[in-house]
Parts: sequence; structure tokens; C-alpha cells
Amino acid sequence: MRLNRPLVYLLISLLIGCNDNQVHHGKDFIFGTLIDIKIYGESKIDAEKVSNEIFTEFHHLHNLLHPWEKSLITDINNAISENKSIPIDNDEVITILSNVQRLETQTQNLFNPSIGKLIRLWGFHSNDYNQKKIPNQKKIQNLVSTNPSMQSIKIENGILKSNNKNVQIDLGGYAKGYALDQAKKILKNNNVKNALINIGGNILALGKYGERDWVVGIQNPRKPNVLATIALKPGWAIGTSGDYQRYIMVNNKRYSHLINPKTGYPENKTQSATVLLPPSEDSGALSDVFSKPLFIIDKKNKANMAKLLNIKYFLIIMEDNSILISESLNKEINWEDDIDKKNITIF
Amino acid sequence: MIKKILQFSKIIKTGDWFIIILFCALIIISTKFLWNLPQGEYLQIYKNNEILATYSLNQKVTKIINGEKGETKIIIDNGKVRFTSAPCTKKYCIHQGWINKANQIIICIPNKISISIFGGEKNYDSINY
Repeated sequence: MRLNRPLVYLLISLLIGCNDNQVHHGKDFIFGTLIDIKIYGESKIDAEKVSNEIFTEFHHLHNLLHPWEKSLITDINNAISENKSIPIDNDEVITILSNVQRLETQTQNLFNPSIGKLIRLWGFHSNDYNQKKIPNQKKIQNLVSTNPSMQSIKIENGILKSNNKNVQIDLGGYAKGYALDQAKKILKNNNVKNALINIGGNILALGKYGERDWVVGIQNPRKPNVLATIALKPGWAIGTSGDYQRYIMVNNKRYSHLINPKTGYPENKTQSATVLLPPSEDSGALSDVFSKPLFIIDKKNKANMAKLLNIKYFLIIMEDNSILISESLNKEINWEDDIDKKNITIF
Repeated sequence: MIKKILQFSKIIKTGDWFIIILFCALIIISTKFLWNLPQGEYLQIYKNNEILATYSLNQKVTKIINGEKGETKIIIDNGKVRFTSAPCTKKYCIHQGWINKANQIIICIPNKISISIFGGEKNYDSINY
């Protein structure tokens, strides 16, 4: 009888093994986009509790950072446009503003979160953007010549002042990535080891899906399918800037929300730019921000920009369907679509 | 009662245990696989071998299909699908009830109508866009 006990234990462990292969799924609609949280290996109650905590935090960020619905950011923008200073009693926002100031400099001003006026002019400050014509060229040039920059903003003793009243803060290229980092903190505080968070396409992986890494599909910019898949190692984040989600069509020409701050016009030679970033405290925010300069800068300087920002994993699809990919990513990517290998340039 | 169990355990030998556990494991493993079949995304309706229509499963709608012998009624209800009426005599297709997983099929031979679910076999966990 004693001999048989191990076998009984084996049987019981097999039965228990049945349950723990569950993934809990949470969905919500915040930041004008779909949030999708997958939690692996926790009980349903724990997973639900943690995802609700994350959703609450996201609603809080939405109400704090929204670029056109009333928020602390729109309060700041109103004060700036009236040339007034404004007290800010929110340390989180002060930290965020100093972070984006640093990132603007680091990306040679191609990530510029102070061009809210340009984005509004192009009609993207709305949930159902459907502007039928492109803005007046003169208006665009006037706005560009005012040189909006986050560097115009000074915060001293909790008082914010901008010396350029044309600065309008729009954290659209940062907030979702920042939210990923906040979600990671909440998951860690709750001892959740394995999760995949997707905020409107920006994804952060925590731990693994059982024995294997989480796998992410990269959207084909022009077809309703996945272009490639890639395993996202524990702690890594992936972000894409694409011209296929937020854009307007005027006279059969596509104008995306990704506006070059130096010309005032949407960049139109690139379909998408994807970056993968290794684990760090702000990998979520960086994956959101760093795809912008890679998208906007002209083709011949894209690889140099990646080098400058120390991005080892990138994938860029140009308007003519040619593909620029870093050597490291090329080794790990699995192409799903029929890709013409002649079109690929490896850096 | 306990005595009886002890007696029973004396009758069966290590080899018997081996077989019992092997089969239990087989049952558990196959349940695991079959339970976790991916949820389908689309429904295809066939008449003979010809595709009549393809519908998304993410809707709530009733479809009426004209088969060889008459009208077949099919209900799609947010991810699952079933036959609700058919002109056949045995009504096997209706008794099959709801199906919702990829590659599941219901066939109504007398009326030559069949439905099958596809999609959902993704080899990734989330999409970056």
C-alpha cells in the first residue's frame, strides 16, 4: 500500500495541473482605445481584483492627462494660452512633464508633446475625427514658426510657466506607454508574476505564459492580418507607430496623426515603425515614445536614429512596402505573411 | 468500509495500479486538450459542397437557409451557433445543440445543409498595432 502512495500523489497533481493553466482575461475601453489584460497562473478572484485595480488607475490617468477633455493637462494648456502661470499640486504630473522634456531633447525634437495646436488643426483632437479637408498651408506654417517646445515650460516651486503661449501639451504619444509602466507596478505589488498588458496596441509582457514566452502578432499595416509574430521576453515592451489607426483620407490621400513637428505635416513615406525595448522602469513609456522619431525621420536616417536612441530591435515598413529591420530582430522574428525577402534591408 | 478498500487494494498489484493511473492520466490529458480548443470566429454554411455564406459569430441573428427538402433555421448567438428547425425526420442536427469551437461541424444530411466554425487558431497571444 505504501508503495502506491506516490502514484496517488501523481494522480492528484495531474488533476491540480488542470486548473493552473488558466489565463484570466480583462477588457475595458479607456484612453479612447481597447485595454486588454491577460493574467496567467493566478486564481480568478485574484486576477479580477488586480485587473480592476489597473483599470481604476487607467481611468485616473485618463482624467489627469486627457489632451482635449477636461483634465489637469487642459487646465495647464488653458493657462499657457492666456500667458498665465499655474500651480500644480500633483507630483506625478510634474515628473511626467520633466520626463517628456528629457525625451524631446533625446529624440532631437521629433517626439514633441507640445504641438497640441497642430494636432488640433489637423482634426485629431476628437473621438470621431473625420475632417474632410487638409488645413490651410499658411496656418500650418504659422504654427510651426512659433517653435513650440517642452523646453519653454519651467516648473519652479510647483508653479508652471511657459514662455511660449503657443505650447499646448498633448501626451498622446506617451500616456499609453506610461500607463503600461504603472500597470506593471500594480501587478508587481500584487505579486502577479505573469501577465500581458495591451493598451491600444502597446504591449508589455510580465513573466511568461507558462513554460513559453508571451507571443505577440505585429499587425500588417495594409491588410487585415498579422505580418509577423515575435516572442516578447519577460519584462520587454513593444510599441508601434502606424498610419493605419488614426488617419483621415482627403482626395484618396492618407494623412495620419503622426505629424512631423518640423514641417507641420503628417509623415507619409512610412506605414509603420515598431520598437521592442528591454526591461527597465520606463520601458513601456519608451516603447510608446521611441517609435515616433523612427516613424517620422526620413528613410536614410532611420537606422541612425535607432542607434542614437540605443534601439536594438526595430522594424519599419515603408510606403513602398520595403522593410527595414535590425539584425537582432531579424534573427527572432517569424514572418507570417508572404514577404518578398528582396524587400528587406537588415541593419 | 475501510477494510473493504484495504482488501481491494491487496487484490490489485503494482501493474494494475500502473494501468489505472495511465488511463486516468490519458483521460485528464485528453480533456485538457479538448476543453481548450480555440473559440471560433466565423461560421460557414454549406449546401452540398458549396459555401452558401460566411458570417461572423460575434452577432445575434437568425438565418433561414433553403436546403434540398426545405427551410433550415440557424441561430447565431454571440460566439455560438445551432440549428433550431429543419425539415428532416430524425432532427439529429437540432439535438446537437450549440457549437462554438473552431473546426466543430453540424451536418444535416437529409436537407444537405452543414455548418462549420473556423478561425480562432491564433499562434499569438495579443496584437501589436
